[in-house]
Amino acid sequence: MINYQKIFEAISISLHVSILSTLFAFLLSLFLGYLIAINKFFLKKTIIACLASLTSIPPVCAGLIVYLLISRSGPLGWMEILYTPSAMIIAQFFIIFPIMITLIINYIEDEYPRFRQELNSYGASKRDLIFLMIVNKKSIYFTVLLIGFGRAISEYGAAAIVGGSIDHVTRNMTSMIALETSKGNIIVGVILGLVLISLSLIISFVMSVMKKKDHV
Amino acid sequence: MKLLQFLIIFFFVFNPLLSREYIVLQSTTSTANTGLLEILSDNFFKETGIEVRAIAVGTGTAIQNAKRGDGDLLLVHSKTDEINFVKEGYGVERFDLMYNDFVIVGPSSDPAKIENASSLKEIMNILHSSDTKFISRDDNSGTHKKELSLWKNANLLLPSSNFYIKTGTGMANTLNIASEMQAYTLTDRGTWITFKNKKNLRILFDKDSSLYNPYGIIALNPIKFPHVEYEKSMRFIDWLINGNGKLLIENFEVNHQKIFFINE
Repeated sequence: MINYQKIFEAISISLHVSILSTLFAFLLSLFLGYLIAINKFFLKKTIIACLASLTSIPPVCAGLIVYLLISRSGPLGWMEILYTPSAMIIAQFFIIFPIMITLIINYIEDEYPRFRQELNSYGASKRDLIFLMIVNKKSIYFTVLLIGFGRAISEYGAAAIVGGSIDHVTRNMTSMIALETSKGNIIVGVILGLVLISLSLIISFVMSVMKKKDHV
Repeated sequence: MKLLQFLIIFFFVFNPLLSREYIVLQSTTSTANTGLLEILSDNFFKETGIEVRAIAVGTGTAIQNAKRGDGDLLLVHSKTDEINFVKEGYGVERFDLMYNDFVIVGPSSDPAKIENASSLKEIMNILHSSDTKFISRDDNSGTHKKELSLWKNANLLLPSSNFYIKTGTGMANTLNIASEMQAYTLTDRGTWITFKNKKNLRILFDKDSSLYNPYGIIALNPIKFPHVEYEKSMRFIDWLINGNGKLLIENFEVNHQKIFFINE
Protein backbone atom coordinates (compact mmCIF):
# COMPACT_ATOMS: atom_id res chain seq x y z
CA MET A 1 0.00 0.00 0.00
CA ILE A 2 2.82 2.40 0.81
CA ASN A 3 4.39 3.91 -2.26
CA TYR A 4 8.08 3.81 -1.37
CA GLN A 5 9.10 5.28 -4.69
CA LYS A 6 7.27 8.49 -3.81
CA ILE A 7 8.87 8.60 -0.41
CA PHE A 8 12.32 8.30 -1.94
CA GLU A 9 11.41 10.95 -4.46
CA ALA A 10 10.40 13.33 -1.68
CA ILE A 11 13.60 12.59 0.21
CA SER A 12 15.75 13.24 -2.85
CA ILE A 13 13.90 16.48 -3.65
CA SER A 14 14.37 17.62 -0.05
CA LEU A 15 18.07 16.79 -0.12
CA HIS A 16 18.64 18.37 -3.51
CA VAL A 17 16.88 21.61 -2.58
CA SER A 18 18.26 21.93 0.93
CA ILE A 19 21.84 21.05 0.03
CA LEU A 20 21.91 23.65 -2.73
CA SER A 21 20.22 26.34 -0.65
CA THR A 22 22.64 25.66 2.21
CA LEU A 23 25.64 25.83 -0.10
CA PHE A 24 24.57 29.09 -1.72
CA ALA A 25 23.71 30.66 1.62
CA PHE A 26 26.98 29.45 3.09
CA LEU A 27 29.18 30.79 0.30
CA LEU A 28 27.45 34.15 0.29
CA SER A 29 27.46 34.47 4.07
CA LEU A 30 31.15 33.54 4.19
CA PHE A 31 31.96 36.18 1.60
CA LEU A 32 29.72 38.94 2.96
CA GLY A 33 30.32 37.91 6.56
CA TYR A 34 34.04 38.58 6.22
CA LEU A 35 33.45 41.84 4.39
CA ILE A 36 31.09 43.08 7.07
CA ALA A 37 33.07 41.82 10.05
CA ILE A 38 36.53 42.98 8.96
CA ASN A 39 35.75 46.39 7.52
CA LYS A 40 34.47 49.45 9.30
CA PHE A 41 31.72 51.35 7.54
CA PHE A 42 28.64 53.46 7.99
CA LEU A 43 25.57 51.59 9.36
CA LYS A 44 27.61 48.49 10.11
CA LYS A 45 25.97 47.90 13.48
CA THR A 46 22.50 48.44 12.02
CA ILE A 47 23.10 45.91 9.26
CA ILE A 48 24.37 43.34 11.74
CA ALA A 49 21.37 43.95 13.98
CA CYS A 50 18.97 43.61 11.05
CA LEU A 51 20.56 40.34 9.98
CA ALA A 52 20.39 39.06 13.55
CA SER A 53 16.71 39.87 13.85
CA LEU A 54 16.02 38.19 10.51
CA THR A 55 17.34 34.92 11.94
CA SER A 56 13.91 34.27 13.39
CA ILE A 57 11.94 35.00 10.21
CA PRO A 58 9.02 32.55 10.07
CA PRO A 59 9.34 30.26 7.02
CA VAL A 60 5.85 31.10 5.77
CA CYS A 61 6.75 34.80 5.69
CA ALA A 62 9.94 34.11 3.77
CA GLY A 63 7.86 31.98 1.40
CA LEU A 64 5.28 34.71 0.98
CA ILE A 65 7.93 37.34 0.21
CA VAL A 66 9.64 35.13 -2.34
CA TYR A 67 6.26 34.21 -3.80
CA LEU A 68 5.35 37.87 -4.31
CA LEU A 69 8.73 38.48 -5.95
CA ILE A 70 8.68 35.60 -8.42
CA SER A 71 4.97 35.42 -9.17
CA ARG A 72 4.15 36.32 -12.77
CA SER A 73 2.86 39.70 -11.70
CA GLY A 74 5.84 40.24 -9.40
CA PRO A 75 9.09 42.02 -10.32
CA LEU A 76 10.95 38.77 -11.04
CA GLY A 77 8.07 37.02 -12.80
CA TRP A 78 9.95 36.93 -16.10
CA MET A 79 12.36 34.40 -14.66
CA GLU A 80 9.65 31.72 -14.71
CA ILE A 81 10.82 30.00 -11.57
CA LEU A 82 7.63 29.89 -9.51
CA TYR A 83 6.65 26.26 -8.81
CA THR A 84 10.15 24.93 -9.54
CA PRO A 85 12.87 23.60 -7.23
CA SER A 86 14.85 26.79 -7.86
CA ALA A 87 12.06 28.77 -6.20
CA MET A 88 12.29 26.50 -3.17
CA ILE A 89 16.04 26.97 -3.07
CA ILE A 90 15.62 30.75 -3.04
CA ALA A 91 12.96 30.65 -0.32
CA GLN A 92 15.09 28.44 1.91
CA PHE A 93 18.05 30.65 1.18
CA PHE A 94 16.16 33.59 2.70
CA ILE A 95 15.42 31.59 5.83
CA ILE A 96 18.92 30.31 6.50
CA PHE A 97 21.13 33.07 5.11
CA PRO A 98 20.56 35.45 8.09
CA ILE A 99 21.30 32.63 10.51
CA MET A 100 24.50 31.59 8.80
CA ILE A 101 25.85 35.07 8.23
CA THR A 102 25.13 36.12 11.81
CA LEU A 103 26.99 33.11 13.16
CA ILE A 104 29.95 33.78 10.87
CA ILE A 105 30.09 37.50 11.69
CA ASN A 106 30.02 36.71 15.41
CA TYR A 107 32.86 34.26 15.05
CA ILE A 108 35.05 36.57 12.98
CA GLU A 109 34.45 39.59 15.17
CA ASP A 110 35.58 37.53 18.13
CA GLU A 111 38.64 36.04 16.52
CA TYR A 112 39.89 38.61 14.05
CA PRO A 113 41.64 41.06 16.46
CA ARG A 114 43.54 38.25 18.13
CA PHE A 115 44.58 36.74 14.82
CA ARG A 116 45.69 40.08 13.52
CA GLN A 117 47.87 40.83 16.47
CA GLU A 118 49.53 37.50 16.29
CA LEU A 119 50.06 37.48 12.58
CA ASN A 120 50.88 41.10 11.88
CA SER A 121 54.26 40.46 13.41
CA TYR A 122 54.89 37.84 10.73
CA GLY A 123 53.89 40.32 8.03
CA ALA A 124 50.83 38.40 6.87
CA SER A 125 48.48 40.12 4.46
CA LYS A 126 44.73 40.44 4.97
CA ARG A 127 44.14 37.66 2.49
CA ASP A 128 46.49 35.33 4.31
CA LEU A 129 44.73 36.17 7.53
CA ILE A 130 41.33 35.27 6.21
CA PHE A 131 42.66 32.07 4.74
CA LEU A 132 44.21 31.16 8.04
CA MET A 133 41.06 31.95 9.95
CA ILE A 134 39.05 29.66 7.72
CA VAL A 135 41.55 26.82 7.81
CA ASN A 136 42.21 27.14 11.49
CA LYS A 137 38.69 26.51 12.67
CA LYS A 138 37.07 24.40 10.02
CA SER A 139 34.69 22.93 12.55
CA ILE A 140 33.00 26.29 13.11
CA TYR A 141 32.10 26.52 9.45
CA PHE A 142 30.99 22.96 9.39
CA THR A 143 28.70 23.64 12.31
CA VAL A 144 27.29 26.69 10.53
CA LEU A 145 26.68 24.53 7.47
CA LEU A 146 24.90 21.89 9.49
CA ILE A 147 22.75 24.40 11.35
CA GLY A 148 21.69 25.93 8.04
CA PHE A 149 21.03 22.56 6.47
CA GLY A 150 19.05 21.35 9.46
CA ARG A 151 16.85 24.40 9.36
CA ALA A 152 16.42 24.22 5.57
CA ILE A 153 15.42 20.58 5.38
CA SER A 154 12.98 20.69 8.27
CA GLU A 155 11.31 23.92 7.19
CA TYR A 156 7.66 23.73 6.18
CA GLY A 157 5.82 26.64 4.68
CA ALA A 158 8.27 28.51 2.50
CA ALA A 159 9.10 25.72 0.07
CA ALA A 160 5.45 24.63 0.02
CA ILE A 161 4.21 28.10 -0.96
CA VAL A 162 6.68 28.76 -3.74
CA GLY A 163 7.09 25.14 -4.85
CA GLY A 164 3.40 24.30 -4.95
CA SER A 165 4.00 20.75 -3.69
CA ILE A 166 3.93 19.36 -7.25
CA ASP A 167 4.20 15.60 -7.49
CA HIS A 168 7.68 14.47 -8.73
CA VAL A 169 8.88 18.08 -8.97
CA THR A 170 8.58 20.08 -5.79
CA ARG A 171 6.96 17.78 -3.25
CA ASN A 172 9.60 17.55 -0.54
CA MET A 173 9.48 15.61 2.69
CA THR A 174 7.74 18.21 4.82
CA SER A 175 5.03 19.03 2.30
CA MET A 176 4.47 15.30 1.70
CA ILE A 177 4.04 14.74 5.45
CA ALA A 178 1.47 17.54 5.60
CA LEU A 179 -0.34 16.28 2.50
CA GLU A 180 -0.43 12.58 3.36
CA THR A 181 -1.44 13.24 6.96
CA SER A 182 -4.27 15.45 5.76
CA LYS A 183 -5.44 12.66 3.47
CA GLY A 184 -5.52 10.32 6.43
CA ASN A 185 -2.42 8.42 5.23
CA ILE A 186 -0.85 8.69 8.63
CA ILE A 187 1.67 5.88 8.07
CA VAL A 188 3.41 7.67 5.18
CA GLY A 189 3.64 10.77 7.35
CA VAL A 190 5.16 8.71 10.14
CA ILE A 191 7.78 7.14 7.86
CA LEU A 192 8.86 10.51 6.48
CA GLY A 193 8.78 12.01 9.94
CA LEU A 194 11.16 9.28 11.14
CA VAL A 195 13.50 10.01 8.23
CA LEU A 196 13.50 13.70 9.14
CA ILE A 197 14.07 13.04 12.82
CA SER A 198 16.95 10.65 12.14
CA LEU A 199 18.50 13.23 9.80
CA SER A 200 18.42 15.88 12.49
CA LEU A 201 19.76 13.42 15.06
CA ILE A 202 22.67 12.60 12.74
CA ILE A 203 23.31 16.29 12.24
CA SER A 204 23.42 17.10 15.94
CA PHE A 205 25.56 14.05 16.59
CA VAL A 206 28.10 15.14 13.97
CA MET A 207 28.03 18.64 15.43
CA SER A 208 28.82 17.47 18.92
CA VAL A 209 31.65 15.27 17.63
CA MET A 210 33.11 18.25 15.76
CA LYS A 211 32.93 20.39 18.89
CA LYS A 212 34.83 17.79 20.91
CA LYS A 213 37.54 17.62 18.26
CA ASP A 214 37.86 21.36 18.42
CA HIS A 215 38.43 21.45 22.14
CA VAL A 216 41.25 18.89 22.07
CA MET B 1 33.37 39.68 -11.20
CA LYS B 2 33.43 36.11 -10.04
CA LEU B 3 30.20 36.65 -8.19
CA LEU B 4 28.59 37.92 -11.38
CA GLN B 5 29.81 34.91 -13.32
CA PHE B 6 28.48 32.70 -10.61
CA LEU B 7 25.08 34.36 -10.73
CA ILE B 8 24.89 34.03 -14.50
CA ILE B 9 25.73 30.35 -14.31
CA PHE B 10 23.21 29.97 -11.50
CA PHE B 11 20.40 31.32 -13.61
CA PHE B 12 21.32 29.31 -16.67
CA VAL B 13 21.43 26.09 -14.76
CA PHE B 14 18.16 26.62 -12.98
CA ASN B 15 16.18 28.64 -15.36
CA PRO B 16 15.97 27.65 -19.00
CA LEU B 17 14.24 30.58 -20.65
CA LEU B 18 13.43 28.45 -23.69
CA SER B 19 9.97 27.13 -24.32
CA ARG B 20 8.84 24.95 -21.48
CA GLU B 21 8.18 21.24 -21.88
CA TYR B 22 5.65 21.37 -19.10
CA ILE B 23 2.40 23.14 -18.33
CA VAL B 24 1.28 24.26 -14.90
CA LEU B 25 -2.27 23.34 -13.93
CA GLN B 26 -3.89 25.34 -11.15
CA SER B 27 -6.30 22.88 -9.65
CA THR B 28 -8.21 21.87 -6.57
CA THR B 29 -7.40 19.54 -3.72
CA SER B 30 -10.42 17.38 -4.62
CA THR B 31 -9.01 16.41 -8.03
CA ALA B 32 -5.45 15.94 -6.77
CA ASN B 33 -6.18 14.05 -3.53
CA THR B 34 -8.23 11.44 -5.35
CA GLY B 35 -5.24 10.60 -7.52
CA LEU B 36 -6.99 11.46 -10.78
CA LEU B 37 -4.59 14.25 -11.78
CA GLU B 38 -1.63 11.95 -11.31
CA ILE B 39 -3.07 9.34 -13.68
CA LEU B 40 -4.01 11.99 -16.23
CA SER B 41 -0.63 13.69 -16.19
CA ASP B 42 1.30 10.41 -16.34
CA ASN B 43 -0.65 9.26 -19.38
CA PHE B 44 -0.56 12.62 -21.13
CA PHE B 45 3.19 12.69 -20.62
CA LYS B 46 3.56 9.21 -22.14
CA GLU B 47 1.56 10.18 -25.20
CA THR B 48 2.88 13.66 -25.87
CA GLY B 49 6.02 14.22 -23.84
CA ILE B 50 4.37 17.22 -22.19
CA GLU B 51 4.51 17.19 -18.42
CA VAL B 52 1.48 18.48 -16.52
CA ARG B 53 2.47 19.96 -13.18
CA ALA B 54 -0.53 20.28 -10.91
CA ILE B 55 -0.82 22.72 -8.03
CA ALA B 56 -3.52 21.58 -5.62
CA VAL B 57 -5.14 24.46 -3.75
CA GLY B 58 -8.70 25.59 -3.14
CA THR B 59 -10.73 26.88 -6.08
CA GLY B 60 -10.56 30.49 -4.84
CA THR B 61 -6.79 30.38 -4.47
CA ALA B 62 -6.37 28.64 -7.83
CA ILE B 63 -8.38 31.38 -9.54
CA GLN B 64 -6.39 34.12 -7.78
CA ASN B 65 -3.11 32.46 -8.77
CA ALA B 66 -4.29 32.14 -12.36
CA LYS B 67 -5.33 35.80 -12.43
CA ARG B 68 -1.77 36.68 -11.49
CA GLY B 69 -0.59 34.66 -14.47
CA ASP B 70 0.88 31.84 -12.42
CA GLY B 71 0.00 28.74 -14.40
CA ASP B 72 -1.23 27.80 -17.86
CA LEU B 73 -4.53 26.11 -17.09
CA LEU B 74 -7.27 26.28 -14.51
CA LEU B 75 -9.31 23.26 -13.42
CA VAL B 76 -11.79 24.20 -10.69
CA HIS B 77 -15.37 23.75 -9.55
CA SER B 78 -17.22 27.01 -9.16
CA LYS B 79 -19.06 27.68 -12.36
CA THR B 80 -20.00 31.34 -11.85
CA ASP B 81 -16.43 32.22 -10.94
CA GLU B 82 -15.18 30.35 -13.98
CA ILE B 83 -17.55 32.21 -16.28
CA ASN B 84 -16.46 35.52 -14.77
CA PHE B 85 -12.84 34.51 -15.18
CA VAL B 86 -13.38 34.12 -18.92
CA LYS B 87 -15.52 37.26 -19.14
CA GLU B 88 -12.83 39.36 -17.50
CA GLY B 89 -10.41 38.23 -20.19
CA TYR B 90 -8.18 36.00 -18.08
CA GLY B 91 -9.24 32.83 -19.86
CA VAL B 92 -10.16 31.98 -23.43
CA GLU B 93 -13.04 29.56 -23.08
CA ARG B 94 -14.54 27.40 -20.36
CA PHE B 95 -15.06 23.73 -21.12
CA ASP B 96 -17.26 21.39 -19.09
CA LEU B 97 -14.95 18.61 -18.04
CA MET B 98 -16.69 16.33 -15.58
CA TYR B 99 -18.93 16.34 -12.54
CA ASN B 100 -19.69 14.60 -9.31
CA ASP B 101 -21.69 15.67 -6.29
CA PHE B 102 -21.42 16.98 -2.77
CA VAL B 103 -22.53 15.00 0.25
CA ILE B 104 -23.20 15.96 3.84
CA VAL B 105 -21.31 13.76 6.26
CA GLY B 106 -21.54 13.58 10.02
CA PRO B 107 -21.23 11.26 13.01
CA SER B 108 -22.99 7.95 12.39
CA SER B 109 -25.16 8.40 15.47
CA ASP B 110 -26.51 11.56 13.78
CA PRO B 111 -27.18 13.58 16.95
CA ALA B 112 -28.93 16.37 15.04
CA LYS B 113 -31.22 13.87 13.28
CA ILE B 114 -30.75 15.22 9.78
CA GLU B 115 -31.07 11.85 8.12
CA ASN B 116 -34.85 11.85 8.34
CA ALA B 117 -35.19 15.37 6.99
CA SER B 118 -37.07 15.66 3.75
CA SER B 119 -35.19 18.47 2.06
CA LEU B 120 -31.85 20.15 1.99
CA LYS B 121 -33.42 23.37 3.27
CA GLU B 122 -34.72 21.56 6.30
CA ILE B 123 -31.28 20.09 6.97
CA MET B 124 -29.63 23.47 6.78
CA ASN B 125 -32.21 24.78 9.23
CA ILE B 126 -31.57 21.93 11.64
CA LEU B 127 -27.80 22.38 11.41
CA HIS B 128 -28.21 26.10 11.90
CA SER B 129 -30.17 25.85 15.12
CA SER B 130 -28.83 22.65 16.67
CA ASP B 131 -25.90 22.56 19.02
CA THR B 132 -23.91 19.99 17.05
CA LYS B 133 -20.75 21.15 15.39
CA PHE B 134 -20.60 22.02 11.71
CA ILE B 135 -17.23 22.47 10.07
CA SER B 136 -16.74 25.01 7.33
CA ARG B 137 -13.79 25.05 4.92
CA ASP B 138 -13.71 28.85 5.05
CA ASP B 139 -11.00 29.02 2.36
CA ASN B 140 -12.89 30.27 -0.68
CA SER B 141 -12.73 26.83 -2.21
CA GLY B 142 -15.46 25.47 -4.45
CA THR B 143 -16.82 23.44 -1.56
CA HIS B 144 -16.82 26.47 0.71
CA LYS B 145 -18.67 28.53 -1.91
CA LYS B 146 -21.17 25.71 -2.23
CA GLU B 147 -21.69 25.64 1.51
CA LEU B 148 -22.27 29.40 1.58
CA SER B 149 -24.86 29.07 -1.18
CA LEU B 150 -26.63 26.31 0.77
CA TRP B 151 -27.11 28.61 3.78
CA LYS B 152 -28.22 31.37 1.46
CA ASN B 153 -30.72 29.20 -0.41
CA ALA B 154 -32.28 28.21 2.90
CA ASN B 155 -32.66 31.92 3.70
CA LEU B 156 -30.28 31.66 6.60
CA LEU B 157 -27.51 33.91 7.76
CA LEU B 158 -24.17 32.25 8.42
CA PRO B 159 -24.22 30.55 11.83
CA SER B 160 -22.26 32.61 14.32
CA SER B 161 -22.29 30.24 17.26
CA ASN B 162 -19.35 28.34 18.69
CA PHE B 163 -20.69 25.27 16.96
CA TYR B 164 -19.80 26.67 13.53
CA ILE B 165 -16.10 25.94 13.15
CA LYS B 166 -13.97 27.43 10.40
CA THR B 167 -10.86 25.46 9.48
CA GLY B 168 -9.42 27.35 6.53
CA THR B 169 -7.72 24.22 5.15
CA GLY B 170 -8.17 21.65 2.39
CA MET B 171 -11.02 19.16 2.15
CA ALA B 172 -9.17 16.13 3.47
CA ASN B 173 -7.81 18.11 6.38
CA THR B 174 -11.29 19.39 7.17
CA LEU B 175 -12.61 15.82 7.12
CA ASN B 176 -9.88 14.87 9.57
CA ILE B 177 -11.05 17.61 11.89
CA ALA B 178 -14.68 16.61 11.44
CA SER B 179 -13.91 13.01 12.32
CA GLU B 180 -11.91 14.04 15.38
CA MET B 181 -14.61 16.44 16.58
CA GLN B 182 -17.57 14.28 15.56
CA ALA B 183 -18.96 17.15 13.53
CA TYR B 184 -20.98 17.60 10.36
CA THR B 185 -19.46 18.94 7.17
CA LEU B 186 -20.02 19.28 3.45
CA THR B 187 -17.60 17.43 1.19
CA ASP B 188 -17.29 16.43 -2.43
CA ARG B 189 -17.88 12.72 -2.93
CA GLY B 190 -14.45 12.17 -4.50
CA THR B 191 -12.47 13.31 -1.48
CA TRP B 192 -14.87 11.44 0.79
CA ILE B 193 -14.36 8.11 -1.01
CA THR B 194 -10.59 8.54 -1.03
CA PHE B 195 -10.38 9.72 2.57
CA LYS B 196 -8.86 7.08 4.84
CA ASN B 197 -9.52 8.36 8.35
CA LYS B 198 -13.34 8.23 8.37
CA LYS B 199 -13.64 6.77 11.88
CA ASN B 200 -17.38 6.80 12.52
CA LEU B 201 -18.33 9.50 10.06
CA ARG B 202 -20.76 8.53 7.35
CA ILE B 203 -22.84 10.07 4.59
CA LEU B 204 -26.09 11.42 6.02
CA PHE B 205 -27.48 13.25 3.04
CA ASP B 206 -26.76 13.05 -0.68
CA LYS B 207 -28.26 12.76 -4.15
CA ASP B 208 -30.00 16.11 -4.20
CA SER B 209 -30.06 18.11 -7.42
CA SER B 210 -28.68 21.20 -5.69
CA LEU B 211 -25.60 19.26 -4.63
CA TYR B 212 -24.42 18.95 -8.24
CA ASN B 213 -20.69 19.64 -8.55
CA PRO B 214 -19.43 20.43 -12.05
CA TYR B 215 -15.75 20.90 -12.90
CA GLY B 216 -14.64 23.18 -15.69
CA ILE B 217 -11.29 23.65 -17.39
CA ILE B 218 -9.97 26.89 -18.86
CA ALA B 219 -6.73 27.74 -20.66
CA LEU B 220 -5.25 31.11 -19.70
CA ASN B 221 -5.54 33.84 -22.31
CA PRO B 222 -2.26 34.13 -24.27
CA ILE B 223 -3.12 37.72 -25.22
CA LYS B 224 -3.29 38.74 -21.58
CA PHE B 225 -0.44 36.48 -20.49
CA PRO B 226 2.08 36.15 -23.35
CA HIS B 227 4.18 33.66 -21.40
CA VAL B 228 1.57 30.89 -21.16
CA GLU B 229 1.94 27.69 -23.15
CA TYR B 230 -1.41 28.05 -24.88
CA GLU B 231 -0.91 25.45 -27.63
CA LYS B 232 0.15 22.78 -25.17
CA SER B 233 -2.67 23.68 -22.80
CA MET B 234 -5.25 23.36 -25.56
CA ARG B 235 -3.78 20.02 -26.55
CA PHE B 236 -4.30 18.86 -22.98
CA ILE B 237 -7.87 20.15 -22.89
CA ASP B 238 -8.65 18.48 -26.21
CA TRP B 239 -7.11 15.25 -24.95
CA LEU B 240 -9.30 15.41 -21.84
CA ILE B 241 -12.52 16.15 -23.64
CA ASN B 242 -12.20 14.15 -26.85
CA GLY B 243 -9.18 11.91 -26.43
CA ASN B 244 -7.87 9.26 -24.10
CA GLY B 245 -8.22 11.55 -21.11
CA LYS B 246 -11.97 11.18 -21.31
CA LEU B 247 -11.71 7.39 -21.10
CA LEU B 248 -9.33 7.65 -18.16
CA ILE B 249 -11.73 9.89 -16.24
CA GLU B 250 -14.66 7.58 -17.01
CA ASN B 251 -12.76 4.50 -15.87
CA PHE B 252 -11.19 6.11 -12.84
CA GLU B 253 -12.16 4.29 -9.67
CA VAL B 254 -11.15 4.38 -6.04
CA ASN B 255 -12.24 1.46 -3.84
CA HIS B 256 -14.33 0.21 -6.79
CA GLN B 257 -16.35 3.40 -6.86
CA LYS B 258 -16.53 5.87 -9.71
CA ILE B 259 -15.60 9.34 -8.61
CA PHE B 260 -16.01 11.59 -11.63
CA PHE B 261 -18.52 11.45 -14.45
CA ILE B 262 -18.36 12.89 -17.94
CA ASN B 263 -20.99 15.41 -19.02
CA GLU B 264 -23.19 13.93 -21.73
